[in-house]
Amino acid sequence: MKELTISSDAPGERLFVLGNEAIARGAIEAGVQVAAAYPGTPSSEIMETLAVVAKDVGMYVEWSTNEKVAFEVALAASICGVRAMTSMKHVGVNVAHDPLMTASYIGAKGGLVLVSADDPWMWSSQNEQDNRYIAEQGYIPILEPSSVQEAKDMMADAFKLSEEFKHLFMVRSVTRIGHARSDIVLGEISRERRKGSFKKDRSWLVYTPAEARRNKPLMLERFERIKKAANTLPYNQLRLADGAKLGIIACGLSYSYALEAVKWLGIEDKVSVLKIGTPHPLPQELVTRLLNSVGKVLVVEELDPFVELHVKAIAGEANIPVKIHGKDLLPVIGELSTRAVTEAIAKLTNSKLPVDFAALDKLGQEVAPLLPLRPPALCPGCPHRASHYAIRVASRKVARDYGKEVEPIYPGDIGCYTLAYNPPQEAVDTCICMGGSFGIANGLAHVVDAPIIAHLGDSTFFHAGIPPLINAVYNKANITMVVLDNSATAMTGFQPHPGTGYTATGDKTVKLKPEDIARACGVKFVEVVDPFDLKKASETIEKAIRFNGPSFVVFRRLCAIIDQREKRQRGEKTVPYRVDQDKCNIKCGACVKLLGCPAIIKQDAKPIIDSSLCTGCGICAQICPYKAIIQE
Amino acid sequence: MVKEFNILITGVGGQGVILMSELLGKAAVKDGLRVRGSEILGMAVRGGSVTSIIRIGDEVYGPLIPMGKCDVLIGMEPSEALRNITYLSKSSLVIVNIAVTIPFTVSIGESKYPSLEEILEKLSNASGRVIKLDAAQIAQEAGSLLTTNIVILGALFGTGKLPIGIETIKETIQRRFPAKTAPVNIKAFDLGYQACQQALCQ
Repeated sequence: MKELTISSDAPGERLFVLGNEAIARGAIEAGVQVAAAYPGTPSSEIMETLAVVAKDVGMYVEWSTNEKVAFEVALAASICGVRAMTSMKHVGVNVAHDPLMTASYIGAKGGLVLVSADDPWMWSSQNEQDNRYIAEQGYIPILEPSSVQEAKDMMADAFKLSEEFKHLFMVRSVTRIGHARSDIVLGEISRERRKGSFKKDRSWLVYTPAEARRNKPLMLERFERIKKAANTLPYNQLRLADGAKLGIIACGLSYSYALEAVKWLGIEDKVSVLKIGTPHPLPQELVTRLLNSVGKVLVVEELDPFVELHVKAIAGEANIPVKIHGKDLLPVIGELSTRAVTEAIAKLTNSKLPVDFAALDKLGQEVAPLLPLRPPALCPGCPHRASHYAIRVASRKVARDYGKEVEPIYPGDIGCYTLAYNPPQEAVDTCICMGGSFGIANGLAHVVDAPIIAHLGDSTFFHAGIPPLINAVYNKANITMVVLDNSATAMTGFQPHPGTGYTATGDKTVKLKPEDIARACGVKFVEVVDPFDLKKASETIEKAIRFNGPSFVVFRRLCAIIDQREKRQRGEKTVPYRVDQDKCNIKCGACVKLLGCPAIIKQDAKPIIDSSLCTGCGICAQICPYKAIIQE
Repeated sequence: MVKEFNILITGVGGQGVILMSELLGKAAVKDGLRVRGSEILGMAVRGGSVTSIIRIGDEVYGPLIPMGKCDVLIGMEPSEALRNITYLSKSSLVIVNIAVTIPFTVSIGESKYPSLEEILEKLSNASGRVIKLDAAQIAQEAGSLLTTNIVILGALFGTGKLPIGIETIKETIQRRFPAKTAPVNIKAFDLGYQACQQALCQ
């Protein structure tokens, strides 16, 4: 039997998938023809999955330079009558925010869907924003799945709904949907392929004030129709229990926790439940029916009290005497859990807790001091470790010329290299948003007198690093801009980008070089250096910092993970280093203290190198004052 | 019918934790079972702690195991099993690979690593039974250190508690690896299975 894959035309068959693969499958079933994205956890695997099957299923897939461009690519395809989608992490939607806010005025011709992958508890993010508010601001209806199966189904349906209502739709995923695994039942794959056509029509495509004023009421009418339809969409389900005093309104993934909690407490027949699959707009009639049938309600949702506020508004407007609970009993920060929901429901129903959670918490507290810290760290052989070392050595030297107390400032950015904020590197002084390193450096230059060395990765440079680079040249900011070029979008899974020479679907393309862009933008000091040549790297960065005016240095060395993978494929052996204990001065500890390499560990107070982890980069050998680290 | 069976796999980035849950999930689906699970990828895991969840059964809805509801806790690394102790109950089984991975924070003096005895004692007090294996050693016997995770997978089936057929998981392993390395992995699975059964007899 042929193995089932994500693009198998096998309706009714079951397949075990990652949530993001299920979302991709939904797009395949809907016959999406254009898909564009910029990678970002927890969304990346959606486009990765589509990129692999793009040519087989007849879909155009691209990694765009950033989320704004990705959204515009999809929007254009929709305008031309073709089904199109874009996916991005929650903060990526901020980058696409500008066109997004006008997109609902435009509406959709070909089905248009934005997947927003929110990240409660900020597993891989700088904030915990709740993108349901962005959707509300832009009059964008949301479909929010409660399971991986529903993520697939909603995704496939979103395109039909988008065309039925001629309006953009958002599918809101969260980390525990996109990075959940489940079996799903496959649906039929649409084989319809449309020819895109652009018809000039300024009445809905040119947003001058006059046209915008004409389109806003039309948009509001479309949204009103969607609001009515929300009451009959299958994703919203009301189950009233006879004589129930408590009603539970559970949105998206939280519905799965609520179901488990109610079962765990053994009160399935004593509570009424409204499952919400469209938090915006809410199914007002269903909400009203529930509110009228019970004395109190618990709204279960992750992050902000979005549904809670709207439910309270509905109750207030209709004068329904019902007590509405939500964030008074459930956390506003982080992910929900079956435990959290169980405790909240137990409180409202005076039920006995099924497990002694307090005892488990106590056990957890007892054990906590025993646990070693194991934070994420730069990999063994990571070129960023060498780059940061060189930057640190050179910048501290230059800082001494500024004054005794002066310290160099390192505005940082979003990527693997953010991990260098930890000791021993401590080489990240700010980390706020994509491209923020160069932007913040621009501002610092005009208010502080210290060496300012901003760094970002190659993919981040193409994403959001170029406007602040031009700004530094134009406004004469005396800063050093560094691109840590490892030829990969490493943190999110090695997706190709404009500097790699390959497209999402593996076709060869032009390979852009950050140094060429910097020169073209008018930077007068531009150098490229290999970070594994520590001496030259330090000298180069020192010259760059001392240069009067904006300077630009590219540290170029392939990501260690890719390098190791390619070496294995070529059959090349990695030759690890080892510590010659006769030469080693155990009082020194420079290799351990200055590099923080996971391959260098201390055993009986002596540094030793774990040969199974060592990639043979040799940085430790270069910095050892006793020349005690040698290659096998 | 299986109502709810919860497996929590813990370890360190690079130990093949995610692969174990993929194999388990695929095999469960082949046997007609419902599966839910989740993991954390990306920024959160570079060289750090990894957990992966597999939940099997008709009464499983959420992606996370509720506290105190874990049936089997697997520690590919001892301190990582300890980190997840609150998922255990007196009916839980713990399988620990006793090979320790010391994080760099210990080398630079930022934290301490507890003794193996202390870890095992805590786990033992919180659970029904702890099975400890030197999985790396067994993997070497099978022919490759890279099969350590498959050894533990074998041990998991050696407990006799899983609702998935042994032939199904073996077929899933067989298909997952290239023809050249599949036999080593099957051998690793069998050795892990036997080691667990021996440990249970003791």
